Amino acid sequence: MGTTTRPEIPPGTLYMLILKSLARTGVEESGGMHGYGIAQHIQRISGDILQVEEGSLYPALQRMLIKGWVVAEWKQSENNRRARFYRLTSDGHKQLARELQDYAHVATAIGRVIEAV
Amino acid sequence: MTELLRRLRFLFRRGAFERELEEEMQHHLALKSEHSSRAEAARQFGNIALLKENSRGMWTFTFLEQLAQDLRYGLRAMLANKLFTGMAVLSLALGIGANTAIYSFMDAILMSRLPVPHPEDLVILHWSNRDRAPVVHGINGSAWRDEKHGRISPNFPHAAYERLRENRSLPATVFAYARAYELNVVVRRQAEVLKGMYVSGGYYSGLGVTPAIGRLIADEDDRAGAPAVAVLSYQFWQSRFGSRPDAIGSQVLINNTPFTVIGVSAPGFFGVSAGHEAPVSIPLHAMPLFAPDREMEARYRFLDQNFYWVEMMGRLRPGATLPAAEAVLRTAFHRFALASATSENERTGEMPSLWLQEGRLGIDSLRRQYGKPLFVLMTMVGLILAIACANIANLLLSRASARRREMAVRMSLGAGRWRVIRQLLTESILLSCTGGVLGLIVAVWGIRSILWLLSPPGDELTLHAGLNWTVLAFTLALALGTGVIFGLAPALQATGRDFTPALKETRSSAVSGHRKRFAPGLGHVLIISQVALSLVLAVAAGLFVRTLSRLNAIELGFNRDNILVFTLNANQGGYKGEALAAFYSRLTARFRAIPGVQAAALSDMLLVSYHWNDTTVTIPGAPAPAPDKKPNTALIRVDPGFLAVMQIPVLVGRDLDARDLRSPRVAVVTEQFVKKYFPGQNPVGRRIGLHDTKAPADIQIIGVAKTTRYNSLKEEETPPLVYIPYSQDMADLGRVTFELRTGTNPLKISGIVRGIVHDASPTVPITGMTTQSAVIDQTISEQRTFANLCTGFAALALLIACVGLYGTMAYSVARRTNEIGIRMALGAARGGIVWMVFSQVTVLAAIGIAIGLGIAWQTGHFVASFLYEVKPTDSLVMAGAALALITAAAVAGFGPAWRASRVDPMAALRHE
Repeated sequence: MGTTTRPEIPPGTLYMLILKSLARTGVEESGGMHGYGIAQHIQRISGDILQVEEGSLYPALQRMLIKGWVVAEWKQSENNRRARFYRLTSDGHKQLARELQDYAHVATAIGRVIEAV
Repeated sequence: MTELLRRLRFLFRRGAFERELEEEMQHHLALKSEHSSRAEAARQFGNIALLKENSRGMWTFTFLEQLAQDLRYGLRAMLANKLFTGMAVLSLALGIGANTAIYSFMDAILMSRLPVPHPEDLVILHWSNRDRAPVVHGINGSAWRDEKHGRISPNFPHAAYERLRENRSLPATVFAYARAYELNVVVRRQAEVLKGMYVSGGYYSGLGVTPAIGRLIADEDDRAGAPAVAVLSYQFWQSRFGSRPDAIGSQVLINNTPFTVIGVSAPGFFGVSAGHEAPVSIPLHAMPLFAPDREMEARYRFLDQNFYWVEMMGRLRPGATLPAAEAVLRTAFHRFALASATSENERTGEMPSLWLQEGRLGIDSLRRQYGKPLFVLMTMVGLILAIACANIANLLLSRASARRREMAVRMSLGAGRWRVIRQLLTESILLSCTGGVLGLIVAVWGIRSILWLLSPPGDELTLHAGLNWTVLAFTLALALGTGVIFGLAPALQATGRDFTPALKETRSSAVSGHRKRFAPGLGHVLIISQVALSLVLAVAAGLFVRTLSRLNAIELGFNRDNILVFTLNANQGGYKGEALAAFYSRLTARFRAIPGVQAAALSDMLLVSYHWNDTTVTIPGAPAPAPDKKPNTALIRVDPGFLAVMQIPVLVGRDLDARDLRSPRVAVVTEQFVKKYFPGQNPVGRRIGLHDTKAPADIQIIGVAKTTRYNSLKEEETPPLVYIPYSQDMADLGRVTFELRTGTNPLKISGIVRGIVHDASPTVPITGMTTQSAVIDQTISEQRTFANLCTGFAALALLIACVGLYGTMAYSVARRTNEIGIRMALGAARGGIVWMVFSQVTVLAAIGIAIGLGIAWQTGHFVASFLYEVKPTDSLVMAGAALALITAAAVAGFGPAWRASRVDPMAALRHE
């Protein structure tokens, strides 16, 4: 448990963030991303605001494997270590679209509420 | 579906999965440590083990898998601790089983409702009076006393029943019945002796019982001169007629009188009394058919308004309440009783007062008979269950504290708190359930044994005492509750936030730092209460065993061993007068010829069998007695060989012999009789009269026999007794009992005896084949049962308490190994160490014994009525029980104490 306080990733959005990270152009071609890479990517893009706890990352990845949204493959990583690389499946793409749409709906709705005078 | 397939595939390659996950996380950690320090990374990464478990959890049927894991682990833990587990499971099984059995039995006797529609509308009629109502000339049935009512009887004159039945304005319809204890029933030439019921025409309709086939007894069947008809119970119809419909209209012989079967009552209906199942019912008006003088019997039964013999029940009419009906019926019966008075004395005397009892449970004779013994048994098994639960609690508590460190280690390695608690719970529930399953077996077996223990020989209790699932569920829930509570409390404690101190404990230094040596922990309280309860049971066992030995030491006055006894009623089988005497003397002769039989005789009752035949006696020349103090004597009608068979010595004069069966009336009297009626004289040659003060004194005394016990072992004073040949008064000779003295086990010849009797007459069945010894034992069956059961219970309780004590001490010694090592290194003697441990055992046991003695002292009077010549506070019993417990405690404490003294100081100090 760190001493720095960071905002938590809103519940339910972790799957969307992982799916989105894997769905970027170029990821598919480069053979996917490993767990650490996904966590780093989310942290970097969010400007160090969102930090993915490993305690939730790996269970989430396992769940996505079960659901069939991603597939995993062992490969050599950039620094010559064996690592598990995750890629999106077609089911995963569909799921991402669904999650983005849901999120947009909710975000718009929340925006209306908090901006109401 | 595909998701399920993926999950299933996981199950087959979980080893690989574990490795992959491990590698993936190490990779993550490695990459991360390139950015920050490794420790920092590890700290941030968190709990790898928990994380792995969570990730794994995503894949599997976690709950079931963990359950299987817990069960495996629990079983292994149970097996590792065989003694503890065995005792816990055994005590729990016996506790649950014994309680279920006793309560099921209680329920069958005390709580089961009559199997008829709307039993709550039924009422039972009784009358009572304070002293003795003079209008009641005689009661044939039962009467008893209680504090509230005085003398109570359920028997009424038949005329009173008719008066109440005819009055249509009463708030209840009444019907009547009388019990037939022995009917000789011949179905298809097969004779047997059965219980039966004489019923009024309104009996079945009043109860609301319907026929399964045919019709039931109605008003037109129950009147003088009606054809003789009988109704069978469903069960009897099934077993003896194979449920054949042509049973209706067939003839059965009852007491040698033909009856036509008109119907079968509904399945499940057994009569109005749980202990008196009647396979055969016949109308009340059929009763005179069995009497030698039918007209006299009919007058006596149906016209005599002062002879009380029928029992009555009523069904409340819609809207009527019990108190309202009672008021109306009481007035009506009072009017009847007043009119029935035959003299001024009777008219002004106390009148019997009618009252109603709720009838939904049926007749309560069994309840009166067994209520109190069952209550005592219930208390005993309740105590066993309490001790068993305390033992379970103790076991779980000491195990939990022994495993505090294990729990702490597991949690620091990343086990979730709930996960650890769940595993502990699984273990305690496993323990309770094992006990419960074994308890079920004990219960089923127990119910059978209680039936056997409580029913007198030859009169099996026909009781539907099935396993009571409600009770079983309750006791099981109690055991489970104990397991959960005493398993959960320490588990919560052990898995609390701060487990660092537990981790720091070494195996041997634990707790002693936190707790003072004699601070009473929950475990100690449990031990003390176990010892106290065991002591109470030990005292009870001592009291009953002493009672039993007192009873067995009573001098009978005859030799009870090796006598075969059985009962016949040839009178009911159709033999009368001369034929009856000839039948009996022929049989006796054949019995005497059986190899191994030394002597044979018959009598109209057995000695020390709770039978009683009391009559008035006239002594010519004695001063005239006061009218309310007629001299009386007990009487046995015997075959001349009786005294020889029983080995009762004749002291003066001669024994009866074969000539006396046909000679002028003679009698042998006992010493007790002489002491009372001929003090200081030789009575041989004197004459007495029997039965009636006005009868001529025409019976000559020919001998004086040694006094024997007559009615029971416990009778305060042996009554004077007269033996007369059975051939005098053949007309009212009913059932007779044969006595055969043999050289060895008398039951060996029972087959031959049955053959001879069947050969002589197939219509005279044998009942109650047993031994004289067993008959006497049965009169003290209550005391015997209590002595046996209670000794067993006390031994069990003692054993359980000792195991608890041993476990606690062994565990405390193990914990203090380090401390003991230091003491010894500093020069403590081995004896001192033994004493240190021993003193703790002694203190615990002494406190328990003191409390137990207090309880026993206070509660002893509850069993006082079951004791014989032993006071409930018998100091010998108390001292013995205390000694037994202190010895047992010493034995239990010796092992741990000895082990403590064997501690090698060097090893103990080096240890961790």
